[in-house]
Amino acid sequence: MPRTDAFIVRSSDQVPKHPLLKRFPVPRNFGVTPGSRIERGRTWAAPAGAVRTKAFEIYRYDPDGDDNPRLDTFEVDLDACGPMVLDALIWIKNNVDPTLTFRRSCREGICGSCAMNIDGANWLACTRYIEETGTPAQIYPLANMRIIKDLVPDLTHVLAQYEMIEPWLQATTPAPDRERLQAPEDRAKLDGYYECILCFCCTSGCPSHWWNGDRFLGPAALLQAWRWLTDSRDEAAGERLDLLEDPFRLYRCHTILNCTRTCPKGLNPGKAIAQIKKMIVDRQS
Amino acid sequence: MRRFRIQTPLGRAVGLGSAKSGFGHWWTERITAAALVLPAIWFAASLIAHSGSDYDTFRRWLREPINTALMVLLLVTLFWHAALGLQVVIEDYVHSVAKIWALIVMRFACFALAAVGIIAALRIALGA
Amino acid sequence: MERMTTKRARPLSPNIQIYRPQLTSVLSIANRITGVALSVFAVVLVIWLAAAASGPAAYSQLQTIIGSWPGQILFLIATFAFFLHLCGGIRHLVWDSVRAFELKQIYASGWAVVLLSAALTVISWLLNLLIAGHS
Repeated sequence: MPRTDAFIVRSSDQVPKHPLLKRFPVPRNFGVTPGSRIERGRTWAAPAGAVRTKAFEIYRYDPDGDDNPRLDTFEVDLDACGPMVLDALIWIKNNVDPTLTFRRSCREGICGSCAMNIDGANWLACTRYIEETGTPAQIYPLANMRIIKDLVPDLTHVLAQYEMIEPWLQATTPAPDRERLQAPEDRAKLDGYYECILCFCCTSGCPSHWWNGDRFLGPAALLQAWRWLTDSRDEAAGERLDLLEDPFRLYRCHTILNCTRTCPKGLNPGKAIAQIKKMIVDRQS
Repeated sequence: MRRFRIQTPLGRAVGLGSAKSGFGHWWTERITAAALVLPAIWFAASLIAHSGSDYDTFRRWLREPINTALMVLLLVTLFWHAALGLQVVIEDYVHSVAKIWALIVMRFACFALAAVGIIAALRIALGA
Repeated sequence: MERMTTKRARPLSPNIQIYRPQLTSVLSIANRITGVALSVFAVVLVIWLAAAASGPAAYSQLQTIIGSWPGQILFLIATFAFFLHLCGGIRHLVWDSVRAFELKQIYASGWAVVLLSAALTVISWLLNLLIAGHS
């Protein structure tokens, strides 16, 4: 049974029972360029004979046409599909509209492909129960991404930002003939960071990345940066910090903590970034 | 509209490279925040105690050396912290050439307001 | 060069228009709004000092404005903004020292900031009424 609590969130998988606000009180097209405005789409009825149905509002965008993105409503037969949001999407693709496009692979929360915005928060479609969603369930692609088609975001830029932090072990000491040794307590420092699956739920949910994503690296890349900064085998901490110390790359993080709230792996990007900032304090004083 | 420019994704992400600064601003914002706690609580408490005071009572209060010192300290830290905080707000939301001008005007205003406030406080404290 | 063959620019998926407000983001924007509001009230502080320095007439004129209904409402807003920014700021300083980053702590400290700010606002106005009533 999903855990729900009105006030205190204890883990990121918790869905708010009584959200104070469903969305921020801004106009629907607040700051939205004409080409990105979402129009009303069509409604796809449930197949005849379906008893238990639930409506899913899904963001659609067809790159081959000239139309704007639209919001389609699908009536899903709950008795004919599996329990997760991803099962509903697959059911729609198989039974209603085969053009519905989304990424998915492992269906068990380890590949990060099916990250999307579900009822206003980013999560993996494969680890969110349909019964945890509202009515209608609202399915959008990851927030603030260029959309290739339907629920498929273009991750080129956020992956380039990940590439920028040079996510590999760097050492000038010649490689040993055996494994690089690491004390168990140093290995433990990677726990909570190495598990990141690069689904970009956090970066896509970060308001600071919305406004300055061209220059701010975002929580996913910064968590990975910390994962290498805290690795006892790495010898490039100085260069890594030089690369990060910038008013935008690192310091655009204002500790909003939407990242930690939304991580589907229960990791803590906000804490990772705070540790990078503290490491820079240690270097300066 | 999106600019049409052939550039690699990494090139776009790297941009102009790291400024290799940013620590100073971030650290000073924290230091001024911590330094503000005591003068701010003193100020709030004084307002509660003296909000209905007449002119002479208020002057006598501000002329006490401890209060003069705290008022000047408050003004310096307050506008220093405000300038650093407003800088972040402007940098976050303004993405045109107006950004540079907004930053200059905001800093100038903070300096000017701090100066006027300090001179006024000292005039009351040291004046006849 | 798939970009050259694309008919139109890719749309940007919605962000603030659809993202659910959470205690994390709401308190963050509240800290920012109160910070900007307090910067405006800092201008009032300077005007107040300048008025006091220029003589009793200007000072009493300003006291009348502050004592008026709109003045009092603005002052009440300023009081709440002050305590929210103070408590929220201390919460941020704790985070900057890499403490209290568990979600449970993030939410508990968030609600504590809201409740404490409201309580301090009420207490300081009651104290003020009590003292002003006796003078």
